[in-house]
Amino acid sequence: MNDVSVHFEGVSKIYPHFTLDDLSLELPTGTIMGLIGANGAGKSTTIRILMGLVHQDRGLVHVLGREMPREQAAAKLDIGFVSEDMRLYGSATLAWHMNFVRSIYPQWDQPYAETLLRRFDLKPRQKIKGLSHGQRVKAALLLALARRPRLLVLDEPTTGLDPVARQEVLGELMAVLADEDRTILFSSHNTLDVEQISDQITFIDRGRIIASDNKEVFLDRWRRLRLVLSPEADLPSLPGVVEIGGSGRLPVLVTNRFDPAMVSACNDAGATVQAVDPMTLEEIFVVNVHSRREKQTV
Amino acid sequence: MNYAMVKRLILKDWYLQRWAILASLAGVVATLGIIATGGKVAFLLGLILLITVIIAIGAQMAVSTIVTERKEQTLPFVMSLPISYREYTASKIWGNLLIFLVPWLTMVLGSFGLLLLSPSSRGLLPYAAIMSTEILLSTCLILALALITESQGWTVAAIMAGNLAVNGIGYVVAHIPGIAKGMWGSTIQWSGAASAVLLAEFTTIALLLGLTFFVQAKKNDFL
Repeated sequence: MNDVSVHFEGVSKIYPHFTLDDLSLELPTGTIMGLIGANGAGKSTTIRILMGLVHQDRGLVHVLGREMPREQAAAKLDIGFVSEDMRLYGSATLAWHMNFVRSIYPQWDQPYAETLLRRFDLKPRQKIKGLSHGQRVKAALLLALARRPRLLVLDEPTTGLDPVARQEVLGELMAVLADEDRTILFSSHNTLDVEQISDQITFIDRGRIIASDNKEVFLDRWRRLRLVLSPEADLPSLPGVVEIGGSGRLPVLVTNRFDPAMVSACNDAGATVQAVDPMTLEEIFVVNVHSRREKQTV
Repeated sequence: MNYAMVKRLILKDWYLQRWAILASLAGVVATLGIIATGGKVAFLLGLILLITVIIAIGAQMAVSTIVTERKEQTLPFVMSLPISYREYTASKIWGNLLIFLVPWLTMVLGSFGLLLLSPSSRGLLPYAAIMSTEILLSTCLILALALITESQGWTVAAIMAGNLAVNGIGYVVAHIPGIAKGMWGSTIQWSGAASAVLLAEFTTIALLLGLTFFVQAKKNDFL
């Protein structure tokens, strides 16, 4: 279990109006996983179960080799956690928070904390209630990073940040990624942020994982094909087609199993491939979600 | 149980509530001073103020260290630390009780001292002990409900119930024959009835705190 930092097996959590359903997930040590989902998809519930803050109704959860939630205290000694809804104590200064966290974590790295103070332009003597939202997120990130965690769990940390603060936060995260033993789980509904730093992507929708793979695999295999059909030709049957759009003679197909050989297969079937467009992670996510929801409706 | 972590969390709350603790202490000392000046009006005014300050500090601590922690979303920060919910519960119960004991003990020692110094009021000492313990019990009730429900509404209801209980129990206890008989005398008459009421109060406190730990241990979701 040492080469896997996070292991979910058949995890379910039932609320009156939401169910996290049979979630299985593995996060190998040293990888950066982006958890993408719309609001209310189950990202925060997944992360809270991972942290031991919400107990699963069914299934097994192991984090850094510890069984959750039973061994959450020991596991959290090696986890840095920042979430969008996390606030620091408004009446205390950042310096007080740093001393408080330092007194708990023996691996606290003071020189690194001071570097982050300068990089994020934070003043340790300033009270938290006097900080802007962006500064508060950076302060929380500093407190999580300077404890040198083996696993960094970030639940929508960039939500509500202005573009400059967002880039600073993402930049620091990318610098952290240089440490190959550090594992990061990054949840967001902003696919651009996730795309920048993740090497593993998991899509979650309505409490279920709908796809999980290497980022490059997603970007390489997903393509939008713009076709022109000759009057006598039918739409060619292609592997992995998840969406068909466009008009009758000018169909647009989205496939998740693109292969260059598909172009000649289309030509042989009487369809001219006008363009093969690469897709952004956001487009892949949206098509994935729509396709799954349509299947559910049917 | 990681006692070192529980201690750190208690010290955190002590630091964050330091001004409230100092203010309550100053309030208790000031009201004891009013009582010490002598006279019936000063005694009654001081007593009302003293009870108000003590009940207020107990309620204020429960609201600001438990309910506000959830409301202002500092709970995710605390729960991201290497603690279990059992340790969080222990830190809140012991931290709040220790904070409350500072003004409460000042009140108990101060009022006992004043009663002992005034020969004509010594008979009130058993009644004062019962009522001081009743205030401690009301604070434990507020603390228990704040922790279990994490709701501002329920905590306010517990504050109101606690306040009413102080008045109601004060009236009932003052009319128990074994206690009422020696209340206005110049000697301390510690009756079996007074001991029984005190024992019942301390037993209720122990049960309330035990029940709080039990209910908290059964909780599954903390955020």
